[in-house]
Amino acid sequence: MAILGLHLTQIGSGDFLLEPSRSLNIRDQGLLIEQIAERLQQARASCLYYDLSEQALIDPVYYAWLDALARAGQAVNVRMVCVHMQPTAAFALARFMRGTPQFETALDISGWQKTGQ
Amino acid sequence: MAQQKITSASTKLTELLKLQIGNISQTIENEGQNIFGGSNNLLGTDEITDFCIEFLQLLVALLESRDPHDDASPQFHALEMYFNNLSKQILVRGGRVEDLVRYIQFMQRTLIEALDNDKKITVEDARAILLFLSGIFNELILAVFQAYLDEKERTIYAQEAELRETATPITEIWDGVLTLPIIGTLDSSRTMLVMEALLNRIAKDHANAVVMDLTGVKNIDSQVSHHLIQMVRAVQLMGSDAIITGIRPEIARALTSLNIDLSGVTTRASLSDGLKEAFRRMGIQVSHKAG
Repeated sequence: MAILGLHLTQIGSGDFLLEPSRSLNIRDQGLLIEQIAERLQQARASCLYYDLSEQALIDPVYYAWLDALARAGQAVNVRMVCVHMQPTAAFALARFMRGTPQFETALDISGWQKTGQ
Repeated sequence: MAQQKITSASTKLTELLKLQIGNISQTIENEGQNIFGGSNNLLGTDEITDFCIEFLQLLVALLESRDPHDDASPQFHALEMYFNNLSKQILVRGGRVEDLVRYIQFMQRTLIEALDNDKKITVEDARAILLFLSGIFNELILAVFQAYLDEKERTIYAQEAELRETATPITEIWDGVLTLPIIGTLDSSRTMLVMEALLNRIAKDHANAVVMDLTGVKNIDSQVSHHLIQMVRAVQLMGSDAIITGIRPEIARALTSLNIDLSGVTTRASLSDGLKEAFRRMGIQVSHKAG
C-alpha cells in the first residue's frame, strides 16, 4: 500500500527508511501518521529512519510534523532517527527549538546510532 | 539658447583639441611619466602613452556626441569607465588616490591652458568651455573616488573573510573527529559564522564528534551561553556528538548563576579528555606501543 507523498522502504529486519517526496503534504499529518504507524506495526518495525537530505530548511511547522511522527512512533514502540540533516536545516532548527526533540539524529543510516541526545 | 552655447563650446574645444593634440598629448604624457612611471613603477612607458591617446580619443568622442553634457550618454560612460578601470589598475599596484586626482586636475589645467594659445576664442566661449570642462572633470574625479571606495571595500571583505577563516580553526584531528578551539568572545554574528562553518564541515567530513574547547574563553554572559547551547544543539541535530571541554571555574560558576541547562551536553575538563571521550564513543582505543 503506497502512502501519498513519501516512500517507506524496509531496509533490514525491523528497520524502515522514510523518504519524503516533494508532494508530501504535512497538513494531512493525522492521516499520514496513521498510515505510517499501520505499516510499521504490520512489519513489526523497531526503527524508522527519516531521510532529511532534501529538506534544506526545517521550520516550526515541519518540526511539529517530525515531532508528532516521532511521538506516534514511540506509541507503537518504534524509534525515529532523522538522518542526513542539512547544515542549513540544523542551523535553523537549533535557533527556535526548545528542549530535546522526540527523535534521535544520526549522520546516516550506517552511522553512529545514539540513544537520546 | 543654452544648448546652442554648449554645442558651440564643445565644437570650439574639439577644434582646439584637434589643432593642439600633439602638444596636449605630450604634456599630459610627461606628467603621467613623472607621477606613475620611472621609479614609481605604477605604469609602464607604453601604458602611459596608450592611456593619453585613449583619453584624448574618448574626450573627442564625447565632444562630438549629440549632447556632450549628457552624463548618461554612452560616450560619457565610456570615459568614466576608462578612468574607473585606470584607478583600479593603479590602486592595485599600490598607487595613491591623491596622485590620480592631482593628475586628472593637471589634465584639466592643460586643456584650459591650451585655450590661451587660441586667440580666436572669445571670453564668452572660454567661460562656456571652462564650465563644460569643470563639469566633466568633476565627474571623472568622482569615478576615481568610486573606484577607490570599491577597491577599499573589496580589501575589507577579503580581510574579513581571512579573519573568519582564522577565527574558526576547525581541524579534523582524527577520522571523523573535529576540534574547534573557541578563543575570545562569542557574539551573535561570530556564533553564526562559527556555527555555519562547523555544520558545513560536519556534513563535508562526515564527522561523528566535535570537541569544542573553551579554554580561550575568558568570560561568558547569558547571550554567549545561549549561543553555545544553540551550537551544541545544531551539532547534535546533524547527528554528531558535541563535547565541550576546557570550561574554566569562573565560566562554570557563571553558567550556574545564569541557570543554563547543560544536561544534554557532554563536558570534559580538558581537550585531551574530550578527545578520549570522542574516541571511546567511536570505539577507538589509543594505547602505548607494547614493549
